[in-house]
Amino acid sequence: MARRPDEEYDYLFKVVLIGDSGVGKSNLLSRFTRNEFCLESKSTIGVEFATRTLQVEGRTIKAQIWDTAGQERYRAITSAYYRGALGALLVYDVTKPTTFDNVSRWLKELRDHADSNIVIMLIGNKTDLKHLRAVATEDAQSFAEKEGLSFIETSALEATNVEKAFQTILGEIYRIISKKSLSSGEPAANIKEGQTLVVEAEDTNAKKPCCSS
Amino acid sequence: MENKRVDDHEIQTTVPVRVDRFGFVKHEQNPPEALMSSKSASEYEREERRIRKWRKMIGVGGSDWKHYVRRKPHVVKRRIRKGIPDCLRGLVWQLISGSRDLLLMNPGVYEQLVIYETSASELDIIRDISRTFPSHVFFQQRHGPGQRSLYNVLKAYSVFDRDVGYVQGMGFIAGLLLLYMSEEDAFWLLVALLKGAVHSPMEGLYLAGLPLVQQYLFQFDHLVKEQLPKLGEHFAQEMINPSMYASQWFITVFSYSFPFHLAIRIWDVFLYEGVKIVFKVGLALLKYCHDDLVKLPFEKLIHGLRNFPEDALNPDVLLPLAYSIKVSKSLEDLKQEYEKQTAKTVEGLVKQEKQQP
Repeated sequence: MARRPDEEYDYLFKVVLIGDSGVGKSNLLSRFTRNEFCLESKSTIGVEFATRTLQVEGRTIKAQIWDTAGQERYRAITSAYYRGALGALLVYDVTKPTTFDNVSRWLKELRDHADSNIVIMLIGNKTDLKHLRAVATEDAQSFAEKEGLSFIETSALEATNVEKAFQTILGEIYRIISKKSLSSGEPAANIKEGQTLVVEAEDTNAKKPCCSS
Repeated sequence: MENKRVDDHEIQTTVPVRVDRFGFVKHEQNPPEALMSSKSASEYEREERRIRKWRKMIGVGGSDWKHYVRRKPHVVKRRIRKGIPDCLRGLVWQLISGSRDLLLMNPGVYEQLVIYETSASELDIIRDISRTFPSHVFFQQRHGPGQRSLYNVLKAYSVFDRDVGYVQGMGFIAGLLLLYMSEEDAFWLLVALLKGAVHSPMEGLYLAGLPLVQQYLFQFDHLVKEQLPKLGEHFAQEMINPSMYASQWFITVFSYSFPFHLAIRIWDVFLYEGVKIVFKVGLALLKYCHDDLVKLPFEKLIHGLRNFPEDALNPDVLLPLAYSIKVSKSLEDLKQEYEKQTAKTVEGLVKQEKQQP
């Protein structure tokens, strides 16, 4: 099928947005894909979806982003969407310590359901609520370092760092993929135009069995 | 607090807010509404006659209802399918759902739940209150009567049934009910639905693992393949499955993102005939937009499945199409197939576990 010029891209990356309910996932997505912020936003039921095509490291990347309901019980539906995702944006609310405490539970979710080489970025959202901040930047920073995640703080409301957050994770994914295709001897451009990108495969089987009791 | 943000947007008492006939704030010209307001005199008369018929059928405070339903169930079904008059909707909903009986059998219970009990879900409920029907005047004012009753109903339910507790999506159902009845009435209607006073219980939509959502999605997926094979095949090719677009349809019975005037017409039928109508309306939407949908690639398809064109959402077009779709037999067969399948999976898991040291 012929693509129209505005739909051309070099890579298609699937990314999921996860984290506790009410931390601002849907507004981060709408800020990134439509430059909108909705004060009257409804809680997400199930999953939502949006895309945006942008330039990352000189390549045209199409980001296909799945936004998920945050409430624990919804994981029965949403965890299916982790499969095949190359990146995960794990969001907490800088004004609500419990949403930060739960980050490790979300990491376990990813380890259980996502591909083992998924790129994870920790995002502390709602920095515009300065007087209500309850999670220190340093705490999140050192947690992220310990867990090997990249980290950034954002405000979807003020559009602070939203673009940068997505740029960073897409860039990281891109670097991993291009390294991979180099080492496997395939030209990276082969991945072009695929519906989904096949970089998950080789070590999914090597995924560590989780240590659940 | 996050709610602080909502403050800025709270309904201003000084500036009159333009709302539609259901109380939703108008952001732009709403064409279906415009059509409604230009009703001719004869249409008003017809509406009046319809209300008189309904009043007669119900009797004073619902006294004649049961008798009438027993004598002429088909007349009742036909009239409900045409839409319950809005001024009688709240009462009729309580009569057909069986909630009125629950209320009368359990005096004082609701008050007890609201005032004396505490719920583990209180914070979860509060977090979502301002995110439920945020564009309706009744629910916009922070701590206003709308938000308070929504909180009370959800909290009471989370105590009444601690296995279900509170799950996102229940708020839209409670909210829709509260626009037509008191807190206590809305609570008992929620109980009637989830516990299955008249139809099969809905609680599985919200229990851990969301088992009924999974079953409904399985059934819907197969119904699409069965009844709209060409579209079913296209969905398979584009890797679209119903969890991407239809989980909200079931979890909130179309109250989450569909135009309100359509949602309440679906609810009329839903309360009288059961969940079948949700499948039928879902299929009708796909059928109505079939020729467009089969042409769309993945992303546009997802967009299309979340943004149906206005003419497809006209209740007088969509509902007759939905009524013409037969699903009962297939639903029953698919349910059994699903149960067999899940039983097998569970068996497999148990075996696997046994094999592991």
